[in-house]
Amino acid sequence: MKKKLFAILSCLVILTLVLAGCGGEKAKDTAKEPAAQGKLVDGPFKKVEGLPAIQAPEGFDWKQFAGVELNVISENTPPSSAIAANIKEFEEATGIKVNIQQMDLGTLVQKVGLDFGAGSSKYHVIYADPYQVLAKYSSKFVDLNELEKDPTLPKIPGGLEDFIQSQLEIDGYMGSKDKLYALPYDCPTMVLAYRTDVMAKIKENFLKEKGFDPTPNPNMTWEQYYQVAEYINKHAAELGVKYGTGHQAKQYDSLMCDFSNILNAYGADYFENRDLGGIGAANPGKTALTTPEAIQAFEFYNKLLKIAHPGSKSWDWNGLAEAFAAGEVAMAPEWHEFASMFENPEKSKVAGKVAWTTLPKGPKRSANIFGGTGIGINANASEKEKKAAWLFLVWATSPQTQLMILESPVGGATPSRNSVYNVASVKKAMEDPTSEEAKKMPNLTSMKATLEAWKAENAYGRPKVPQWPQIDTIVFTELSKMLAGQQDPKTTAESISKQVDALTGN
Amino acid sequence: MPQPQPKGAPSAGGRLARFFTTENMMLAPAMLVLASVSIFPFLYLIYASLMDFSLAIDNPTFAGFRNWLRLVKDPLIFQSWKVTIVYAVTGLGLELILGVGIALLLYAAPWGRNLFVTLWMLPIFVAPVVAGLLGWFLLNSSYGLYAWVLQQFGVHTDIFGTVATALPAVILIDVWEWTPLITLIVLSGLQSLPTEPLEAAEVDGATYWQKLRYIILPLSFRIIVVALLIRSMDIMRFIDTIFITTAGGPADSTKIIGLRLFDVAFRFMDIGFAAAIGLSMLVVTIFLGKAFIRVMYGRE
Repeated sequence: MKKKLFAILSCLVILTLVLAGCGGEKAKDTAKEPAAQGKLVDGPFKKVEGLPAIQAPEGFDWKQFAGVELNVISENTPPSSAIAANIKEFEEATGIKVNIQQMDLGTLVQKVGLDFGAGSSKYHVIYADPYQVLAKYSSKFVDLNELEKDPTLPKIPGGLEDFIQSQLEIDGYMGSKDKLYALPYDCPTMVLAYRTDVMAKIKENFLKEKGFDPTPNPNMTWEQYYQVAEYINKHAAELGVKYGTGHQAKQYDSLMCDFSNILNAYGADYFENRDLGGIGAANPGKTALTTPEAIQAFEFYNKLLKIAHPGSKSWDWNGLAEAFAAGEVAMAPEWHEFASMFENPEKSKVAGKVAWTTLPKGPKRSANIFGGTGIGINANASEKEKKAAWLFLVWATSPQTQLMILESPVGGATPSRNSVYNVASVKKAMEDPTSEEAKKMPNLTSMKATLEAWKAENAYGRPKVPQWPQIDTIVFTELSKMLAGQQDPKTTAESISKQVDALTGN
Repeated sequence: MPQPQPKGAPSAGGRLARFFTTENMMLAPAMLVLASVSIFPFLYLIYASLMDFSLAIDNPTFAGFRNWLRLVKDPLIFQSWKVTIVYAVTGLGLELILGVGIALLLYAAPWGRNLFVTLWMLPIFVAPVVAGLLGWFLLNSSYGLYAWVLQQFGVHTDIFGTVATALPAVILIDVWEWTPLITLIVLSGLQSLPTEPLEAAEVDGATYWQKLRYIILPLSFRIIVVALLIRSMDIMRFIDTIFITTAGGPADSTKIIGLRLFDVAFRFMDIGFAAAIGLSMLVVTIFLGKAFIRVMYGRE
């Protein structure tokens, strides 16, 4: 009898436990569901028709991090200037105080490196240059996927899909797509700026003499570009320019960027592994700079720089932009965000006379190097600071803020969001460079060419590897020696290969 | 049986008591500050030179003397030392000749000395980075005034972009900025010279050159060496001007050792190797200082 009672009681207990377990599971699920799939409501920010709004879960207190002070470290780029000028909107909505510190990239890399090295979080939000910061210190950044998935926090408006995907890959990931370290923030890309008035003057005679239209266009080759530049040099006095082409060939990062366009257009790249330009890798493997295509590229670059403005060898991108704006050169491969400077009559003698196209093609394709950057969160920050920084990231990279940056007189940088390019005023400015909209957003005059440059067949990303700062230095130093006539192109290629392979242990 | 205490040797308690004197106790805070700002960082530099920070900056691994071996083997380091020697010797030479020459002129000037010294000293108050920017603006091939003047004479070269002209240009910027310092130091030395030997020489009918050769220069020799000593230490450390104008190029022709150190430390974050380079620069500076001091006192 006792045994029977015990058996019945045991069955009842087990049944109760099972039911309770199932009920608990269900209860847990139902508790989770509303939070995970809870209603999202618009945040206290300016809304723009046609753009996804900044949203947070219903009941989210935007002021819960009030009093937190965020230090943002950024290169002195147009987006950061525009954000600094309009930071009140974010500060008033969240109560978070934001200190934006802007500096040149070299100083930024140094400060961020020391901050990470000390294991501190002097800077909470970091301008994560993919090559000089992210590739080396990815483990020091917060995985943004965790914050995006957190049901208690605001979401990325429009989702990750609204970012230009190739840029998200370069700016956001390192080594694999398991963790997202940064959100695309700016997107300078190198395209070709040229003087329409100069091209109009030479068109007829050049066409007769050479048999092709000298006006740069997406089908122009680098060899044709050389011929046009040479022709302009010969007729410089009557054309009102000093030289046909100018370059950013100072012994600096700019020289590597300028050369990379030609290297890749000729079908070559720095490493045998061609997949390093996107999510990157910890070990790049062996170099591939002594292939016939690469040597051809070195030879052509050396030849091209011999007829370029002599100032080219002391110009970085700023120096080249100043020279182009001063009317010294007729054509220049330049970052597309200099368009606003070229169209500003106070800074430029060539306003209204500039057009843009993708860079000339080599035997393989047109390669237009991407120079964009993302922003990420320092993993050493406290949990509260991380969440406050997430709010800043959501706001700073939102389509609305990107549009504000584009329209800002102190900014003018072009957006890294697909949705912004579908806004009617932006579309109009891109289609009609003479429109009022284009005058308000002068950077968009180069945007048509830039959107072409972002297409997979034209885009080029330099290798994203932790050793890139050293590799970059080896490349531009040896190139500088070549341009100074101290070594020939083949020796240059061999010297870079030898040094880089020794550095990477391959 | 206890050993007898040698006469005159203090006991352990006595030594301790002597250490904790009022004077030492009052000196202690200053010594602690000095240790924290100078000695500890120096010791850390030695430690860092034996570590490898290249893989993880916050978790260095022991590297033994690998960084020091790299210092000896790396041809780029030798190249930078070569450029540094040319830069320092030429720069210091020009600053010495001009600085001492102008100081002598001012010393002999019957009027307007104070006004001229004030104006002449202005470049010293300019930060080296501003001096670099000024040089860049004046020599820039697009809008530089000096570049424009050269172009009027048919010289179309780019000064900072050509190997032959970049180093002389950065040397001249350094000379422009720091010659007044030499002038100032030497002039202060000249003004404190005893007047009796000069008056005696004048009575004896000595010419100006004779006075200069046999009285003024020998008597102001020490102060000239002091001026050179200060500048020689500075010229190795200051990289701002070169950083702004040429960034070490073209073709590494202006990459002095200080700039190379900056690259290794702050661009590559290779702190171990940078520490070794920094210590080697310190050793060279100490030897240089010792040499100058030996020259200074060798003439006594």
